[in-house]
Amino acid sequence: MPMYQVKPVSPGDIKIDLPTCMYKLTNVHAQGMNCSEHALQNGEVDPAVKALEDRQDEVLRRLYELKATVDGLTKTVTTPDADLDATTLSHAPVESVFRGTADLDSLLGKDLGALRDIVINAHPARPPLSLLVLHGLLCQRYQVLSSVHLHSSVPGVPPPLMSCLGPRHTDSYARQRFQLGFTLIWKDVSKLQMKFSTQNMCPIEGEANVARFLSRLLGADPQDPVSATQMDRWIDTAVFQLAEGGNKERAAVLRSLNTALGRSPWLLGEGFSLADVVCACCVLQAGESGSAPANVQRWLKSCQNLGHFRCVYPLLQ
Amino acid sequence: MTKENVQGAGEEEQQAQSKKGLKKQQKEAEKAAKKAEKQAKLAAEQQDTDEDDFAKDRYGICPMVQSQQKLDRALVRVQDLTPEKAEQQIWVRARIHTSRAKGKQCFLVLRHQQFTVQALLAVGERASKQMVKFAANLTKESIIDVEAVVKKVEQKIESCSQQDVELHVERIFVISQSEARLPLQLEDAVRPEGEGDEEGRATVNQDTRLDNRVIDLRTTTSQAIFRLQSGVCQLFRDTLINKGFVEIQTPKIISAASEGGANVFTVSYFKTSAYLAQSPQLYKQMCICADFDKVFCVGPVFRAEDSNTHRHLTEFVGLDIEMTFNYHYHEVIDSITDTMVQIFKGLRDRFQTEIQTVNKQYPSEPFKFLEPTLRLEYMEGVAMLRAAGVEMGDEEDLSTPNEKLLGRLVKDKYDTDFYVLDKYPLAVRPFYTMPDPSDPKYSNSYDMFMRGEEILSGAQRVHDAQLLTERAMHHSIDLEKIKAYIDSFRYGAPPHAGGGIGLERVTMLYLGLHNVRQTSMFPRDPKRLTP
Repeated sequence: MPMYQVKPVSPGDIKIDLPTCMYKLTNVHAQGMNCSEHALQNGEVDPAVKALEDRQDEVLRRLYELKATVDGLTKTVTTPDADLDATTLSHAPVESVFRGTADLDSLLGKDLGALRDIVINAHPARPPLSLLVLHGLLCQRYQVLSSVHLHSSVPGVPPPLMSCLGPRHTDSYARQRFQLGFTLIWKDVSKLQMKFSTQNMCPIEGEANVARFLSRLLGADPQDPVSATQMDRWIDTAVFQLAEGGNKERAAVLRSLNTALGRSPWLLGEGFSLADVVCACCVLQAGESGSAPANVQRWLKSCQNLGHFRCVYPLLQ
Repeated sequence: MTKENVQGAGEEEQQAQSKKGLKKQQKEAEKAAKKAEKQAKLAAEQQDTDEDDFAKDRYGICPMVQSQQKLDRALVRVQDLTPEKAEQQIWVRARIHTSRAKGKQCFLVLRHQQFTVQALLAVGERASKQMVKFAANLTKESIIDVEAVVKKVEQKIESCSQQDVELHVERIFVISQSEARLPLQLEDAVRPEGEGDEEGRATVNQDTRLDNRVIDLRTTTSQAIFRLQSGVCQLFRDTLINKGFVEIQTPKIISAASEGGANVFTVSYFKTSAYLAQSPQLYKQMCICADFDKVFCVGPVFRAEDSNTHRHLTEFVGLDIEMTFNYHYHEVIDSITDTMVQIFKGLRDRFQTEIQTVNKQYPSEPFKFLEPTLRLEYMEGVAMLRAAGVEMGDEEDLSTPNEKLLGRLVKDKYDTDFYVLDKYPLAVRPFYTMPDPSDPKYSNSYDMFMRGEEILSGAQRVHDAQLLTERAMHHSIDLEKIKAYIDSFRYGAPPHAGGGIGLERVTMLYLGLHNVRQTSMFPRDPKRLTP
């Protein structure tokens, strides 16, 4: 609809007696309206818009740069000759493992009055042996309330599975006396699962990852990055190629274990570590302990002598 | 000009009238013709019926069964109609669930309890036109005897429980006829919640169901619910008897209110008044003092609470347990939780058909539980709730929404619908609850939860007359009124604990239903006293 102009109905310069409780403000409309009109009329660009455009260009440029960097990195990682030979790197002396200090409050958040209960859901067909060993180690460090339950999705389990965390603690009637809860539930799950704080943390899946979590509670992680990486590599090798792999893969892992154990008593050198726990459990579970090469045999024997693996043997068929 | 106009209009009117009259006449003629046709048809049909009805003795209405004769006829139950019975000629007694006539055929769905089977009548060698018509006109819910041949079907009959066979009817007799108008339609009563709204179909509301409970109980869902409930009761008994418990019967008319006095029904008792028992607790404890060691009882319990919620009834069936223990009341918790787990397992293994049937109308997740049962402490529960953002005091009782929330939190972490919350604050429990030995703020008492709702509340009881008197005084209870109760502990009483479960609630929560009236056969609440 076309608009037309009307003469102002009141003169602009009327004097009004304002009450003393009010005060004057400068006109907020006049400036802005003038500006937009101006821009529209002359086809000029608002400096604010210009600045925004510049910023977007800058962000995009930086994104392209990042992408290029990541592409470069991918290339380095996937090409074999870029792979680091960890053995040639200097070794920091491995600390006596599983003696480190860990403060539960700093690791798991402040105690709010509830028992800090680690819940592990595992399928009875694949008992998580390495976690049982770690449970034993946790019990040496902390007051642990351990319990084993059977979930209704599983009709029943053999009795050794129900007693795999050892006899009931004599104080188990008073949950408040414990620092840590370790609840193992035999359940029909496709992948081993750990739940701790359902509100702040998503469930952790896979035996290897849960083992890493538990070992951190022991404060036993290697401090230097090289051993940490080696440990991670051994754990993954054990879980993916020994426990889940085919015959050929298993044989290959046993060979490389044998080589590594020829160089040092334990997988990471002079100290017993999580890598030994997980690998040994996987070798035992795969039923390869009898046919393993000499160094592996010797190493299994030393593991057994440590006493941490006592809970594992009743579960092996 | 005006005159002419008027005249013209009048003529037109006349013409219109005559046109109308013509139409009317025509219509009447048509009507008459139709009527005649109909009559002729009826007459013809009458003739038909009168004419040779070769199947006359193959159908009809039986005289009322007054036990005139004792037939040696074996009736096959609908649920036993399986493909193994194919080609056999059998007799079946069932209700007509639906009937659908289609030309020379009539399809009946026969129902017995929660099982249905399709039956077919077709005009042919065995059945006459009249017989098919007779079957088609039978009212729904009538009880009939049918002789039929079992036939395998190629395509599964999705609408029936017996999907692989159908019946080819050869004889059909009515045993008891139903009135044509039913107060509610069975298919409306089993329609899943929500589905009816979308398609504009009827669903039956709770009150209509309860007013016509006899018909509502015939639905497959109700049949399954109450069969399962009977299973709960039986499993409860079996498990406890196996554990060496003794079943006792306790009086329901009592002279004094057992728990202080509120919420009891008063009944006139000759020249004085008496009360209906709120719980058999006093008598259970007296049996313990009389060295029965482990007792349970199943019986009605009355609560005069004017609360109209989905989980309160004024009369319900209580399953009560009381037992002595050696040194720690956890022995009792273990015993009760194991009983519950045995019930859940029994239901899971023996009542799968019923659970599936109920799920069709009221879908819910299967009931999950752990063995042994998870036990948490009240303090932990409060901490979990606080972590979830609930503000509450240490000694405050759990509100119903908080109970629900805690149930969800526990389910998230432990994936169980059943757990025990132990060590309640002493302040929120009755006077006869044993205080915690290490912290006087707490007590040796516990609640059990199913799907986040409380089903059992129990505790170690004070078995020492001295302490009991102190506790009662602390709660400012009139000692005169509970003198008999306190006196029963004066002559040596073993340490004991126990608890009581509501049968209706357990059934409701196990099946994931939303109203306890669905699991009470003839529910009593503040607004309902009939049927």
